[in-house]
Amino acid sequence: MLVADLVINGLIIGFLYALMAIGLSLIFGVLRIVNFAHGEFYMVGAYAYSLITLSSGISPWFALPLAFLAGSLVGLVSERLLVRPLYAGYANWGFMRDEYAVIVTFGLSLLLISLADKIIGPFSYRGPTLLPPSRIELGPFLLNGNRLLAAALGIAILAIAVGFVRYSYWGKQIQAVAQNRLGASLAGANVNVVSSLVFAISGGLAALAGALLAPFIAATPDVGLFPAVKSYVIVVLGGLGSIPGSIVASLLLGVVESLAAVYISYDYRDTFGLVVLILVLLFRPQGLFGQKGREV
Amino acid sequence: MKPTGFIRKSMRRAASLSFAALATILSGQAHEVQAADPIKIGVTLAMSPPGSVIQGTQLRDGLSIALKMINDQGGVLGRPVELIYEDTQGIPEKARAAAEKLITKDGVVAITGEHQSSSGLAAIEVAHRYHIPYLNSNAWSDAIRSKGYPEVFNPGNYNTRVALAVAEVMADLKLKRIVAIAEKTDYGIGLAELIRDLLKERSPGTEYSYITVDRAGKDFLPVILPLRANPPDAIVQLLLPPAAYIMINQLHEQGVAPSSKTWLYEASGVADYPDFWKNVQDAAKGMLTFGLYHPEMPLLPLGKSVATAYQAGTNRPLNRLMFQGADSLFLIVEAIKAAGSTKPDAMIAALQKTEWVGTRGTVTFSNEKGFKFQQWLNVPYVTLQVTKVNQPIDEMQLVQGPGKPLDPAKLTKAK
Repeated sequence: MLVADLVINGLIIGFLYALMAIGLSLIFGVLRIVNFAHGEFYMVGAYAYSLITLSSGISPWFALPLAFLAGSLVGLVSERLLVRPLYAGYANWGFMRDEYAVIVTFGLSLLLISLADKIIGPFSYRGPTLLPPSRIELGPFLLNGNRLLAAALGIAILAIAVGFVRYSYWGKQIQAVAQNRLGASLAGANVNVVSSLVFAISGGLAALAGALLAPFIAATPDVGLFPAVKSYVIVVLGGLGSIPGSIVASLLLGVVESLAAVYISYDYRDTFGLVVLILVLLFRPQGLFGQKGREV
Repeated sequence: MKPTGFIRKSMRRAASLSFAALATILSGQAHEVQAADPIKIGVTLAMSPPGSVIQGTQLRDGLSIALKMINDQGGVLGRPVELIYEDTQGIPEKARAAAEKLITKDGVVAITGEHQSSSGLAAIEVAHRYHIPYLNSNAWSDAIRSKGYPEVFNPGNYNTRVALAVAEVMADLKLKRIVAIAEKTDYGIGLAELIRDLLKERSPGTEYSYITVDRAGKDFLPVILPLRANPPDAIVQLLLPPAAYIMINQLHEQGVAPSSKTWLYEASGVADYPDFWKNVQDAAKGMLTFGLYHPEMPLLPLGKSVATAYQAGTNRPLNRLMFQGADSLFLIVEAIKAAGSTKPDAMIAALQKTEWVGTRGTVTFSNEKGFKFQQWLNVPYVTLQVTKVNQPIDEMQLVQGPGKPLDPAKLTKAK
C-alpha cells in the first residue's frame, strides 16, 4: 500500500514539475536559450499569489490569474530589455551568442533574488489553500485535497498551453520560429512578437506553478532554486525543446524520486533524477522525445 | 652687531625647546585622536538566504540595542564601540572568509553574532588561528565547544541542553517509539545523535531513530508517508525555517502529527519567529516546543531595559535571540573593561573569570572539557504547548517551567 501511496504522490508532484518545466522547454525549443532565471519566474508567481491574498484578502482563485500576469509581465520585460539584443545583432554574435544568453539570464536570476530579498524581506510567506484543508480517503489511500486540486489545475493548464501552441494562430507562429527563425521572418511571422510571447507564456506558466505550490512551499527569495534545478533535469531528460517529452520526464522524475527516496535513501533524493538522466542520455543522447540533428 | 656665542646658543636652545613643545602638543593631539577611535567588534551572521535570515535579524536587533546602550554610557575605556557586520549567508566558506576579513582588514578585537553551527565551526578556526576572542551567540552544535579553543566562549544555548529537554519530556511521557527528523547539518545531526544518547540513559526501553533531510528540501512526503503507514508515538522536528515550516505543514497535511497517536515536539525553537504563524496555521496546534524565552521566565534589570528598548523600536514580540545578541556584546565589553585593554590574552583571561549579571541570569563559563567547555551551562529553558492558532509565545501553555519537571496535567492531546 505504501508503494501505491508513493506512486500517487509522485504523479501529483510530477504534474507540478511539468508545469514548472514546460516554460523552460518552450524557451529553449523556440529561442534556443537556456533561461537561468526560470526559477525566479516561479518565485514571482509564489510571491504574487501569497502577498496578494494575504494583504488584500481576495479569494485565492482570483490571485491565480494575477500571479500568471505577474510572471508574464516579468518574462515580457526580461525578453524586451535583456534578450532582444541577442536577435537585434544576430548575424554578428558568432560564438558569443550562447555566452551572452547564459550571463544575462544568470544575472537576471541574481537580480530578482536580491530584489525580493531587499523589497519583500527574508521572511517566508505561505499562500492560502484554494479549498479549506481537506483530506480525501480513497479506500486505503489518504490524499490531500489541495494537492490533488493543484495537480488537476496543473493538468488543465498544461492542456491549454499545449493546445495553444499546437492549434492557435500565434501557436503556429511560435512553431514556425522554432523551426527556423529566419525562414519564419521571411514568411511574414513577427519574430520579435513571438519571442516576447514565448517569454511571457513561459514566465506565466512558471509563476502559475509557484502560485499553485505556494500553500505547500512558502515563497522565499531563494524558492526558485528548487524548480529551476528540477526543470533543467526534466527538459534535458525529455529532450530539449520537446513539450510532450518534458511532461513524461516530469512524471517519471516525480515517481522515481518518491520511490527511491523511501526504498534506497532520502539523502540522495535529488541525485536519483540525475542518475536517470545519465542513464537515458547514455542510450538516447537526444533525450526521451528529442530529435537527433546537427546544426550546419 | 653680530650675535655673540652665548646668544647663538640660547637661540638654538629656544628653537629646540619650541620644536620639542610643538612635537609634544602634536603627539598629544595624535594620542587623543587614537583614544577616540572606536573599538571595532566583528559580527558574522546570515543576512541573506540560504542562511536563517530571521535569526540573523533578531540577533542584529539585540546587538544594536546593546551597542546603543553601551555608547550612550560613554563606550568602554573612553572609546566608542563600533560593530562591523559581515553576511555569511549561513555558508561555512563565507563565514570563514568573513572572520578572516574582520580580523586582518578591519582589525576587530573580538567577533560575535554567529547563529548557525556550520558557519560557527568554520569561523572559530580563524579566530583560533589569530587568537581573537569569539563570542558564539547562538550556534548550538556541541562540536564548537568540544574543540576546546580558549578563544571561544558560549553564552547561548547548546545542543546537549536541547537534547536533555527532549529526552526528559519523552521519558516523562513514557513513549515507546520516537522518530526525529533532522536537517543534514552539524546542528541537526549533532542534536539527533545527542537525543539518542540521552534517551538511552533516561528511557532505555524507548525505540529511537532519526532521518536526515536536506535543509533546502521542499517536498518531504517520501519521509512522511512511511511514518503515516507506521506512526510513531512522537516526532521530533530538528529543522530550521523555511524547511521547518514545510515539514510541520506536511506532517499535518498527511494527518501524521500532532495527532491522537503522535506527539510533535519542535526542538529548534522556531515558534517565536516573526513569520511562524504566517507559515504554519492549523498545523502547529497541539505541538510541543522547546523555548528559551517565555514571559514567566524571570528577566533581570538589564533584561528589562533591553526588552523596553526593543519594544520601543519594533512592533515585534520579545524573543530569545534578541536577548542572546545583546548578552554577547555586553560580555565582550565587560571583558574589555575588566581587562583594561583590548589585548586578546587579557580579554580571554577576563572572560574566563566572568561572573556577569546578564539579561536572563548570571553568566559564568565552565572550564570542564567537552561540550561544557567555556559554556554558560545554566541557560534557562522551558517547554510550551501550542493550544491555539496565531497564539503568541507568551500565551502558549507552559507545560515545563524553568528548572521544573514536565506537568502532564497541563498537556492537551491533539484530536
